[in-house]
Amino acid sequence: MVCGQRAKSGVSPGVFMKHTEIVITGIGVVASNGIGREAFWGALRKGVSGIKPVSLFDTGSIKSKQAGEIKDFDAKLYLGDKGLRLLDRSTKLANVAAKLALDDAHFTVTEENTDETGVVLGTTLGSVWSISEFDKTALVEGPRYVNPALFPNTVINSPASQISIRFGIKGFNTTIATGFTSSMDALKYACDFIRLGRAKAVLVGGVEELCLQTYLGFYKLQFLSGSKDDDQELNCPFDCRRNGIVFGEGAAMLLIEDAEAARARGVRIYARISSLGYEFVPYRINKYHRLGTGIRKAMKEALGAADLDVEDVDYISANANSTPEADRIEAVAIREVFGSTAQKIPVTAIKSMVGETFSASGAMQLAAASGSIKEGFIPPTLNLREKDPQCTLNCKDGISQKADIRHVLISCFGPSGVNTAVVLSKYEK
Amino acid sequence: MAPSIKDEILEIVATVIEKEAGDISLDAHLVQEVGADSMMALEILAALEKKYHIVVPEERLKEMTTVNKIIQMVETARKRG
Repeated sequence: MVCGQRAKSGVSPGVFMKHTEIVITGIGVVASNGIGREAFWGALRKGVSGIKPVSLFDTGSIKSKQAGEIKDFDAKLYLGDKGLRLLDRSTKLANVAAKLALDDAHFTVTEENTDETGVVLGTTLGSVWSISEFDKTALVEGPRYVNPALFPNTVINSPASQISIRFGIKGFNTTIATGFTSSMDALKYACDFIRLGRAKAVLVGGVEELCLQTYLGFYKLQFLSGSKDDDQELNCPFDCRRNGIVFGEGAAMLLIEDAEAARARGVRIYARISSLGYEFVPYRINKYHRLGTGIRKAMKEALGAADLDVEDVDYISANANSTPEADRIEAVAIREVFGSTAQKIPVTAIKSMVGETFSASGAMQLAAASGSIKEGFIPPTLNLREKDPQCTLNCKDGISQKADIRHVLISCFGPSGVNTAVVLSKYEK
Repeated sequence: MAPSIKDEILEIVATVIEKEAGDISLDAHLVQEVGADSMMALEILAALEKKYHIVVPEERLKEMTTVNKIIQMVETARKRG
């Protein structure tokens, strides 16, 4: 949307891309159902789930057993042998995704462009394992015997910093830790940098690793499916049997660029970031706001800023993560924002395939929606057998539907009170 | 046959510096010739203290310039107990 243009839907334009058009030119994904853009899109198209029994640690003493784990992940295959010895899993996942995104965009960091290139990463739990292991060594063996070279892993900005170090990106480096919406907040931050003329290209995304400590934390909070009495472990967004999230790990990084710079490079453009809607509605710790006012406002803001009517949206990439409350709140919000169109517009929840990847989830949705736009498909929502009457939406189980996609509305929110929505659009010269 | 202290220390240094043990000359300057840095030196020191249950004062870090000097330092510390 051009500054000053009036939104068709009549709502406040909110955060939008003034004069600067921002596009996605590189995609790097490390997900439980596929590593690399093509494998990830292929899995989404075929409805392949990455959910499986956890093998990274023992789940014998608890009732939840499954996760979107990335089996046999070997960073050396993508990054070479050197410089990986001290890096933790989050940092390796993020670096592999960054490498894949840069390669995909044919973007080489040089002395000429490095100051106009940045890194923004969303991660919240990324250093929990490293902190825990570092402290364990200090407690068990004594503080003298901790490895000082492992200390940098214990800080939350380690994965983002390692990306900048490895690829020589000097423009800026920021970590955003806002829980479920971290990578969407990272996108907003990255777009602001480009819009303000302080960067031409930004590597933006999110990462979370699967580890015992975070898995147990979510389990004890009873966020995980199967963690409550007599619960069956299921990952089924919008289904009336849903009873909590199945945790997922992974990283998704996107190279976003000022469209003018991308055009000058003559590079392939996957999609245009048309708008971002943001609403912060603090409520209670770990509690979704029952009325879902935040996500409604964020969706309306994104549509208004993109100058779209609800009929212009080809599908909605839902936040839905199989949590009873969150899925219902989102379904109600979609019905209110889209009115009678809500029953027709396809809605999909990719978390049914990759699990709740937390800080990485928004970036995963962006990577998935880019595939939809580029290759013309709408991913399915798996395990949707008994539709919840409170979540009556146009969701399909099984495999993807073919469709010409021009605009996708992506929603992402969490119980922290942050609500985000993004309109991703087909790039037309 | 158990590895000698020389081989053990060389292996620790090689692992930290990410080089083959055979490529590190015992008298080569670890920073100027082999590519070590101050963080690597700290890591080597911590690993040696842990392996041999010794305490090496941090001020002796600057003396760890070659593998041979590290071996000497460890042997002295072990004798000291």
